[in-house]
Amino acid sequence: MKGFHLVRRTNVKLWQRILFYVIGILVSLVIGAILLSTLDIDPIKYYRQMMTIGLIENKYPEKAIEGLLKIFVPLLIVSLALSLSYRMKFWNVGGEGEFIVGAIIAAVIAFKCSSLPGPLVILLMSLAAFIASGLIGLAVAFLKVKFNTNETLVTLMINYIALYVITYIADTKKSWNFFLDKESARPKFAKFPDPAKMPGIKIGNVNLLYSVIIALALGVIIYFYLKSTKQGYEISVVGDSTDTARYAGMNVGRIVMRTVFLSAALVGMAGAFSASTAATISTSITNNVGWTGVIVAWLSKLSTPGIAVVSLLISVLQYGCQAASVSYGSVDHNFADLLQGVILFSVLVADFALNFRIVRRKEADNV
Amino acid sequence: MSDLELITLFVFNIVVYSIPLLYGTCGEIITEKSGSLNLGVEGTMAVGAIIGYIAGCRSNSFLVAILVSFLAASLVGALFAFFTVTLQANQNVTGLTITTLGVALYFFIGKGLSGMGKWPVLSSSDKMVKGFKNIEIPGLSSIKFVGKAFFTHNILVYAGVVMAIVLWIYIEKTSMGLKLRAIGENPAAADSLGVNVNLYKYIHIMLGSGIMGIGGLYMGLNMSGSFEGSNCWINGYGWIAIALVIFANWSTLRAIGGTFVFGFFNTLIYYNGPLANQFPHALGWLTKIPSQFYSALPFIITLIVLILSSVRKNSSSGEPAAKGINYYREDR
Repeated sequence: MKGFHLVRRTNVKLWQRILFYVIGILVSLVIGAILLSTLDIDPIKYYRQMMTIGLIENKYPEKAIEGLLKIFVPLLIVSLALSLSYRMKFWNVGGEGEFIVGAIIAAVIAFKCSSLPGPLVILLMSLAAFIASGLIGLAVAFLKVKFNTNETLVTLMINYIALYVITYIADTKKSWNFFLDKESARPKFAKFPDPAKMPGIKIGNVNLLYSVIIALALGVIIYFYLKSTKQGYEISVVGDSTDTARYAGMNVGRIVMRTVFLSAALVGMAGAFSASTAATISTSITNNVGWTGVIVAWLSKLSTPGIAVVSLLISVLQYGCQAASVSYGSVDHNFADLLQGVILFSVLVADFALNFRIVRRKEADNV
Repeated sequence: MSDLELITLFVFNIVVYSIPLLYGTCGEIITEKSGSLNLGVEGTMAVGAIIGYIAGCRSNSFLVAILVSFLAASLVGALFAFFTVTLQANQNVTGLTITTLGVALYFFIGKGLSGMGKWPVLSSSDKMVKGFKNIEIPGLSSIKFVGKAFFTHNILVYAGVVMAIVLWIYIEKTSMGLKLRAIGENPAAADSLGVNVNLYKYIHIMLGSGIMGIGGLYMGLNMSGSFEGSNCWINGYGWIAIALVIFANWSTLRAIGGTFVFGFFNTLIYYNGPLANQFPHALGWLTKIPSQFYSALPFIITLIVLILSSVRKNSSSGEPAAKGINYYREDR
């Protein structure tokens, strides 16, 4: 690119941004359509089925909504949680591991404290998961602050260690292992006792779980936390420049540790919610939400309202692909991952087009 | 089975199962040396594996399989380079997306072809079977124990070790390697000395990804090319490779030894039972340890190495200082 030169644009308007993103998403859908047609699948029909998440011609449309929300709740909480770390350029990619730890701890409480009344058990499960996963985040943040240990790689390793811990619990039929179903000859996770199951309220035919309401409330709380509290302000200053924060007399290390604790803790709480909703745990309980959460946080530019919108869209994509795979045997839920990846890349291109202008070197010198 | 036969078989399998890691690790080392942390190893290996495998079977040529897996994976690398080098996108996010996208593409292609009944079976391609056959190295392979364990392997095993050595010489002893290391340490300084930073990054990210792709192909062939809907051929090896880079301290030569150590634990998952049966007194305890612990060990060890090396801040670390940070020329 000799003779050319990139110049940062500063005055990007909101409508321009939205226009570019919509174009990016359309391009992704076209790429997906081309891929689908190589398998002799009519993309229009497929997309229609996907985007209506199987609501049409379905005897039980309420099941589709409940299924969608089961994907939406953990995705929303995890994306919100991860965005807290990313705001300070702290690369917590340990969503998978923190989620698993949260789910395991929640299961311990579910099995051991089932004599307590329902709401209290669920509160305890969430709190224990919150603290356990939060402590992992705190430890990683401590290492980063104190020794500059690479947090990306540390959290990556923790993901796999946590995965093998839950696999171990899942496969080990021993008398101490209260996680497993005593009746079953093969190792199989037991169902939680009733008090540990996430309750809900009936709205029409839909059983609206309390976790949905809590997740949405959490979104609002985090929005105001970041916007109007001292701690939220500190996060944004540290994110802009640690030097500025230091000159302003802030204790950067403390802010990082506090925020990463919160970030990991919320991911753990999402794990507890998922366990309580499913009334059991499994080795695939994360449903890759730790990874998808990174993509959602990034697609939303870490904006809290953005995360709410994008995680709903991605949930539709994921649940829609599951629903469509009933009619299309050769395309499974992985197609959602594929589209997600293509969308992220398209949006990155759109971002670039928004933020930079390519100008000839001569022109640039005159600027 | 005699004691020696079992141990020979055990060591033989360590080599068989660990070499794909060497490809993944060496690919990632050369990528990181250029200052880029590519978390897309898993996806890159998956794409290289499936496209190379299909191309090889269709054309009935082992060489085509290797070349295509290299090319396909290096195109994935080009995508990573385009986003992180040219468009300045975040490396962590781009890498993770490459993994998501690559693995999803793997399943899309595999499921699609299987669904249409067009999945190529390995045995239908005699050249592929022949190409991946074990080769006895004349002279060396007849040595007791060592010959069977180390010198009766498929061509990609030998090629992998040679590649690791060649890469080490390239990185440490040539002037291009010196420039590469300079970019990984301080891109602005390298730039001011007239090194074309972006070109170097592109070349080495693509080269590294291509190498990962061959490792992926190896894993597919090791599974006899059978596509299963639920498990990817790569099965987490891409992540172990990223861990191994740290364990090998960014040296492809050390990676050979590191690969063997990690391969040792991976092979113990399957051999703890037979070994414990054969040597009940000495190794009986092997079965007492859950197999998941062996699976987790590479990650646990890497975690410890990561923490210890940062606590000790040792200066002999081969970690490129500018790894993970994009280089934007205008910010100089």
